[in-house]
Amino acid sequence: MTAAHGVMAEYDNREALLDALRSARAAGWQRMDAFAPFPVPEAAALLGVGGSRVAWIAIGAGLFGAALAYGVQWWLSVHVYPINIGGRPLHAWPAFLPATTIVAIVWAALATLLGMLVLNRLPRLSHPVFTAPGFLRASEDRFFLLILAEDPAFSVPAARDFLRGTGALRVTEPA
Amino acid sequence: MSLPGRALRLLTLLAAGSLLVRRHAPAHAPGELPANEVAAIPLQPRFGWRFTASLGAAALGVLLLGYAVVGLLLQGTGLWGTNIPFVWGFDLINYIWWIGIANAASLFAVILVLRRHGLRTAVNRFAEAAALAAIAAAALYPILHLGRPWLFYWVLPYPATFQVWPQFRSTLVWDLWGIMAHVLVTGLFWYIGLIPDLATMRDRAVLRGRLRSARLYGLFALGWRGSVIHWARHEAAYRLVAALVLPMLVSAQTIVALEFASAVVPGWHQARLPLHVVATGVPSGLGVVLALAALLRRTLGLQQLIDDADMHLLGRLMAAASLACLVLYADEAFTAWMEETPTQRGMAARILGLYAPLWWGGLLLTALVPQALWLRSCRTGLAAPMLIGLGAAAGVWLDRFALVAGGLLHDHLPSTGPAYGPSLPEWTLLLGTAGLFAFALLLFARFVPVVSMYETRHEESEAEAP
Repeated sequence: MTAAHGVMAEYDNREALLDALRSARAAGWQRMDAFAPFPVPEAAALLGVGGSRVAWIAIGAGLFGAALAYGVQWWLSVHVYPINIGGRPLHAWPAFLPATTIVAIVWAALATLLGMLVLNRLPRLSHPVFTAPGFLRASEDRFFLLILAEDPAFSVPAARDFLRGTGALRVTEPA
Repeated sequence: MSLPGRALRLLTLLAAGSLLVRRHAPAHAPGELPANEVAAIPLQPRFGWRFTASLGAAALGVLLLGYAVVGLLLQGTGLWGTNIPFVWGFDLINYIWWIGIANAASLFAVILVLRRHGLRTAVNRFAEAAALAAIAAAALYPILHLGRPWLFYWVLPYPATFQVWPQFRSTLVWDLWGIMAHVLVTGLFWYIGLIPDLATMRDRAVLRGRLRSARLYGLFALGWRGSVIHWARHEAAYRLVAALVLPMLVSAQTIVALEFASAVVPGWHQARLPLHVVATGVPSGLGVVLALAALLRRTLGLQQLIDDADMHLLGRLMAAASLACLVLYADEAFTAWMEETPTQRGMAARILGLYAPLWWGGLLLTALVPQALWLRSCRTGLAAPMLIGLGAAAGVWLDRFALVAGGLLHDHLPSTGPAYGPSLPEWTLLLGTAGLFAFALLLFARFVPVVSMYETRHEESEAEAP
């Protein structure tokens, strides 16, 4: 067996996980992760992460898509392939707007999915946490707190002792 | 499936030694899983003969679609009943109709997600799925009606040998972007909401020893492990895409309506047309969602998850949407009355002329009959919501027919050519797309959780919290 990925504690409700997370923060643990069967924004906030970066990625991609779509329409209609239709202006900006908006939306939506996945380092085929006994219930009804081995104060006994004191149902070591 | 059927299925599950699924498990010993009816549905080895029969019928519909498409590719649009001046027939009628269903179903799902409404746990997932299936059916038509569908890529800006580029000042080019974006964004909305539930399915399948299913679900779950950090980003992404769907809904149908409004035909040349088309589309999509809700809760035994309160809310929403439709019909008549003589004559031809039964049928089925949903007793059962919901969808179809074909009865010319009537290949194509829609929805009910499981868990935990 390789070195431990960390030490993991299991809880059966959201409040217990949040309490454990708060006391872990107070005890000085820095590198942690938590797992839940549904969104727990408070826990994410305690770990210092929110969803705003996804939104910025989407906005950036949307603006880029808009510029690209408008630019292509302008470049093709005015410079590359100008067609004179009854003397109407070649740079017909109102007619360019529908496609511009729509393409911007597509870029933003695709970037939302990809941005979310990249920030989450997904997809991946496997992950050490899945080796923890009972972890499959993280997608059902159980809550897990993981103290990562990267934590400067990490040692298996210390993390174990701390997590045992938080009222965990069980404490395991995914490798 | 009937009640005895459900009981039988449950018994076989229990008899198969499946200790993992228990209906009423008040407390869970460690290592034992609580009941999860939603996840249990796709993991059943068999689904019963009724399902197989329905899937078979839908598959026949898909075959029919293939037949209609191949026939069209071989012979061309001459197979259809369209002719000058009726250059648009079933192709446009059915396209606007399917888009309307897709739009209303996604609009509904989006509003529920953005407002974090409790109803979202019950109906969101299959409203999204219905939208996706409808948009797939809709997207076929504009491509097929091109005449030479295999050259559809000519509308894309790509460096062709002759250096001919698309005409970006044309509404037809907007159409391409509108449809393509609609398919993509609706699909993304559905898929992003599905990722965590696919992970639940994966874990469930592992615990049941169904490793092949687990691998398949796992592949599409992208390695989701439920980290709260991931959840935070996922929630942001889901809500963000929901918000992005909103402008999408207005755009695709508005663009089609603009194609009509920018024509010189008096019956079409009206600024109110985009509003009319977008807003009268709502009862069709809501009607399909309502019918599906009534059907799914009965056949899959999901009465606890899609409960009576949900049905009441959905029914009242549908009734309100059809009331809005009634107002629009009144506005249509009033606007026509205030217009110049050619428009008045065009409108009179639509309401009283050859296609008058279609116009009146549309009015009856979309705007009047659904008013019955204000009555409590019409909202819960199986038959009433299904009939009213599907009736509204049919009514919107009649309205589209009355618009596309009936709008052309009075042109600026003294007389118009022979009237439009759909030919057999057109009916085959419509039946085929309906088969595609049903086939997609049945597969969806078979393989994917029909109710959002994580949203349900979330909701339940919030209800329990002090």
